[in-house]
Amino acid sequence: MKQLRAGRFALGLTVVALPLALALLGPVFAGEPGPRAASFTLGDGHWLGTDFVGRDTWQQVLHGGRPVVLTALAATALAYLVALPIGLVSALTHRRWLEELLMRPLDVLLAVPSLLLILLAATVFSLGAFGLAMLVALVNVPDAARLVRAAAAEAAARPAVEALRMQGETWWRMAFGYVGRSMLRPLAADAGTRLTGVLYLVATAAFLGVGVAPDAANWAVMVDRNRTGLFVQPWAVVVPALLIVGLTMGANLLFDAALDKGGRRRALPRATGSETGEGPVRRRTEKEARP
Amino acid sequence: MSGVRSFVARRLLLGAAQTVAVVLLVFALTEALPGDAAVALAGDQPDPARVAAIREAMNLDQPAWQRLADWAAGLPHGDLGTSLVSGRPVSQYIADGFAPTLLLAALTVALLVPVGFGLGVLAARHEGRLADRLISSVTLAVYAVPEFALGILLVTVLAIQLGWLPPTAVGYGADLLGHPAALVLPVLVLLARPVCSLVRLVRAGMIDALASPYVAQARRYGVPRARLRYAHALPNALAPAAQQLARTVDWLLSGVIVVEALFVIPGLGTVLLNAIAERDVPVVQGLAVVFGALTVVLNLGADLVALRLAPRTGVAA
Repeated sequence: MKQLRAGRFALGLTVVALPLALALLGPVFAGEPGPRAASFTLGDGHWLGTDFVGRDTWQQVLHGGRPVVLTALAATALAYLVALPIGLVSALTHRRWLEELLMRPLDVLLAVPSLLLILLAATVFSLGAFGLAMLVALVNVPDAARLVRAAAAEAAARPAVEALRMQGETWWRMAFGYVGRSMLRPLAADAGTRLTGVLYLVATAAFLGVGVAPDAANWAVMVDRNRTGLFVQPWAVVVPALLIVGLTMGANLLFDAALDKGGRRRALPRATGSETGEGPVRRRTEKEARP
Repeated sequence: MSGVRSFVARRLLLGAAQTVAVVLLVFALTEALPGDAAVALAGDQPDPARVAAIREAMNLDQPAWQRLADWAAGLPHGDLGTSLVSGRPVSQYIADGFAPTLLLAALTVALLVPVGFGLGVLAARHEGRLADRLISSVTLAVYAVPEFALGILLVTVLAIQLGWLPPTAVGYGADLLGHPAALVLPVLVLLARPVCSLVRLVRAGMIDALASPYVAQARRYGVPRARLRYAHALPNALAPAAQQLARTVDWLLSGVIVVEALFVIPGLGTVLLNAIAERDVPVVQGLAVVFGALTVVLNLGADLVALRLAPRTGVAA
């Protein structure tokens, strides 16, 4: 099984390497945009042809990955920025009402389908890339906060925290010095799966035209806008679509393999911890729970 | 028994709260419009007559709480308001788009259950061997891929390069059943993600169940293999899968929106996207309430079914 995992890790790395490199380094090599040609043509110095307004497809591909990846990364970071304090405080507080006040509204929010919420907001506001990142972060907060709370509650129930308390250590020292540190591993695992979910949402929203300009250099937008020329000039659709598939597929394989390794190493303390997770800790934090 | 009853009561309460929250959230949408809602909705060059018409149609001169009360009172009767663009009732829009969406969703769920359980059990039976490795790797890989990217690649290969299937449902209108070939690709794309998650869950559940002491004991008694697998082990793998099945409705919803846009199918997703493009707020609100309430009810049902299947796990609300 170990060999299999290593193989999966390598496979994920190979699949994700090209799209990720293109996304991060593409704009550096893109150079100046040339003059516009006729739309949906092939050849004539454009080795991937031209797109729906006659721009060079290859150049658009070089520029189009960065917004997808950066928006996804920003959204994941923002989600944790909000979820961490909420989850930590509600796990470590001894005031029952505070915990209820923090966590119950999130339970209610969990009910709304993620993409629906994003589309609703798009009706009213004209979102930019940052607005999209904020929204995607927002729909991820309930689940992330729940996971943080579960992980923190498990760590806070350990004897080590009791010892720290008896020694008269401050709340901050316990919260960040011990509980925060022992949460790092489950959090890293969750961040991986969350990032793939966020990538999915960001790309799908961009495909539906949320948070992007209609002619933006963005792989998802390219797939949408160049669809009309699919019969004449498929490269302008196929290349960005393949890059998105590679990015999401590779990321998921990679994170799964990495997460598995982590799981094996911390198998012992977790086996007892996950059972004692009392209270409203639902099994929804599993990676299968939400897109 | 009281534990179960209090769980059911709490879960029902949560469901009610979620429904109320969906209604409030959707209503808050008009309140969130910057400035004068009627002016904001009238477009780039607001024409005074149009602004007045919108104000009239949405009762914007009444206080917010009164509009909320009127709107919420109409919801249980199926009165979802009227469109700003066409003046037709929103329920009419929903009735028009309902059939294709229901067909897509029903076909997907009907295929999802046998395929998901079949592949999951198959992988669990051959744990660690080629079939399992293949199924596990493929499901893991496809699981994260957005529908639109997968769909457009399938269209390019199967419809345009090989010419086996029609690339879109353009020209068939709502009569999709008469053109089954046009349904193959949309359903395939819709199935991709939910099948992957279901297979992984069933596989994990079956492996756990097959390794449990009660299965070992039954094996010692000489219970036939097939009976052991399907009558004893599978029900225990079902409970988490039933919950996941309801959660896939959330996915089906986003999937349906994307797939309808991709294959040009005139269903609810297309209605929603058109309404968003025209900033037809009442239509968007009506659809959002329907979708949101549907999700709440299905999740509620799934949690109760899961409780019935595996009472001891006490799935906490």
